Amino acid sequence: MLWPYLYAAPAVGAMAFAFGFPLVQVVRDSFYAGSFDSPIWVGLDNYRGVLADPAFRESLLNNMKLLLTVPVMLGLGLAIALVLNDRIRGGRHYQAIVFLPYVLPATAIGIAFSFVLQENGVLNTALRKAHLGVLAQDWLGNSHLAIGSVGALVVWQQLGFAVVVFTAALLALPPETAEAARIDGAGWWQLQLRVLVPQIRPIIELLTVIQVITVISWVFNYVYVLTSGGPGYSSSVMELYIWRSFSNGSNGTAASVAVMLLGMAGVLIGLSLWVRRQAIAG
Amino acid sequence: MKRVLISLGAALVVGSAVFSVTAESKTAKTAADDPNNANLTYWYWAESDAPGANNWLKKQVALYEKAHPKVKISIVLQSTDTLTSAFTTVVQTKSGPDIATQWATLPSLTPAWAGATVPISDYVPASETKNWISTSENMWQGKLWAMPQYLIGIPFVWNKTLFKKAGLNPNVAPKTWADFLADAKKLKAAGITPFGMGNKDGYGGAWFFSLIGKQNLNSINELKDAMIGKQDFANPKFSGFYQTLADLKKSGYLNSDVASITFGQGFQLFGQKKVAMSWGTDGNVAQWEKQVGAKNMGIAAIPIWGNGKLATSYDVTQSSDAFITKWSKHPRAAAQFLTFLHSPQALKAWYKSTGVFPADKRFSASVVTDPIAKQMLKLDQSPVSVWPENFVPPQVDQNADLAGGEMITSGSGSPADVVKLWKSQLSQWKSQHPDEFRSYQKWATGH
Repeated sequence: MLWPYLYAAPAVGAMAFAFGFPLVQVVRDSFYAGSFDSPIWVGLDNYRGVLADPAFRESLLNNMKLLLTVPVMLGLGLAIALVLNDRIRGGRHYQAIVFLPYVLPATAIGIAFSFVLQENGVLNTALRKAHLGVLAQDWLGNSHLAIGSVGALVVWQQLGFAVVVFTAALLALPPETAEAARIDGAGWWQLQLRVLVPQIRPIIELLTVIQVITVISWVFNYVYVLTSGGPGYSSSVMELYIWRSFSNGSNGTAASVAVMLLGMAGVLIGLSLWVRRQAIAG
Repeated sequence: MKRVLISLGAALVVGSAVFSVTAESKTAKTAADDPNNANLTYWYWAESDAPGANNWLKKQVALYEKAHPKVKISIVLQSTDTLTSAFTTVVQTKSGPDIATQWATLPSLTPAWAGATVPISDYVPASETKNWISTSENMWQGKLWAMPQYLIGIPFVWNKTLFKKAGLNPNVAPKTWADFLADAKKLKAAGITPFGMGNKDGYGGAWFFSLIGKQNLNSINELKDAMIGKQDFANPKFSGFYQTLADLKKSGYLNSDVASITFGQGFQLFGQKKVAMSWGTDGNVAQWEKQVGAKNMGIAAIPIWGNGKLATSYDVTQSSDAFITKWSKHPRAAAQFLTFLHSPQALKAWYKSTGVFPADKRFSASVVTDPIAKQMLKLDQSPVSVWPENFVPPQVDQNADLAGGEMITSGSGSPADVVKLWKSQLSQWKSQHPDEFRSYQKWATGH
């Protein structure tokens, strides 16, 4: 009975070293201040300090605001995939066009959009030339709009991924069900919403989880390149807060926020698994 | 007898082995310290201050490697927004370049306090360092910790053509803040953007702090006291300038895109003749002179805003400097190369390449023939000069100084909000870096 465990031991050991050790180390560091070579035990002070820091609270709130991009992204992605699934003329080309931003590096996109979205950038210049100057805004320099601009960029880039995943799921469906619905007199909307979408529900759930995790812990590139978290902290996110803390040598602060971020991602993953189980059981 | 011979033979072999290993080790150590045989990595930054600096260094490295065939120098160019953070990370790991660049004073001294650098004065003789200018910015415990390469003065500039267009005397610079505001009003009325800068990354606001904010102080020690809590940063003496910056924004005297363009992009506005007034480094001014024309622009000291003794001081600093890291295996080689950068040909080439004055007494002023450059040199030789940002702890500089200015120029925070931010960041710095705080206290009080 011991043999199976012995066989698994090397892999478990490697996993523990690769994932467990850094995890334990980060949790440990979150209770210390100072540098790595002369750490000072501070207990929960890092957590208290972080929670009392308005910059952290603003970063956390911005992560929450960015969560709004998930339904937008998935809704748009699903709509486009359903239209493309109808075998419209040039569908593959449209799919390629929509997918293109996803394969571009986030940093390149961020730099390009930082020029597009400036007060006197490409977008506002075009709006002013089209006599729509009233719509021209300081997309990056206005603290009320900066995080929205980041969100729009995230949607723009991630949309292609959603479209491809949904299209693949729709193509994998057996054609008989849709055919039977058509014979029974289902209209286009009924066919999409009552027949096709329910069949790809597990994929929608999976993508929701992936995108939520992306928005919580993978938006650093967009924010750093587009706004650097500014003006002030108006577009800062938790990842940027961690990076700033670490680059300032505040390792304990960075570690404590990393632990919180890990906890949030863990809760979300647990929640998604629970939803998934409920769906299967139901 | 046989046993004795075998024992002697064995002892001889072991002894020889030990000797050869020891000798090899000694040779290796000597080789490691050999200034003429080393691989050096140099993290370099200066281009933003002095356009042309990167090319100059590339050429100097080529010259040095030609003269020292066994020395190989790898240049790793650093970006402005990660200059401090990248090296702070390196300090944590205690491994990285042999030579690094930082801004003067605190960004250079905090790594020294953390034991990450060695005093350059231990490797370069006093007969050489006595020629370097502005060394006082990087002195600690009686030792010099970094080598200055150049001097950066920050003159005020104005476009004479645009002044004339607005009905202003093109040959008169605003001397006081009241003059500045009066000129700005007339320029705005004429449809000209009065003052140009970029502050998306916070450096525009940080410059405002250093150039205007210092003017209510009588000495830089007052700012040091505010950093360690002996004085209150909320006192308008320290933070009153934020209201002035907010007023400029509100009056429409700044370019409308100040919050969405970077500091570097802001510099381009004056060269593109899109704004009537600005400020920049000596290097920027040299570039603008080519774009705007010497006849169409004027330079002067920053208009006087405050009433402290520092109000009339000029803003000149070595800006960035070079130091040798503690973990470098070739400190002597690094020091020798850095000394080479102060050789007469290197100094001359530096000025030719950048238009920025080298921080070396041996640089001959007779080389400077351009009238605007002559004016800048005269300003740089002002008796009192200080760059207050150098005295702000790097963490506070990034999280309060840069972020606070952004809040003002974007309109997302009031001066009172920014003061609150400064106080909270000073408090965080104290709790997150207790060692650094103690070292700062000692340094600030002259211990």
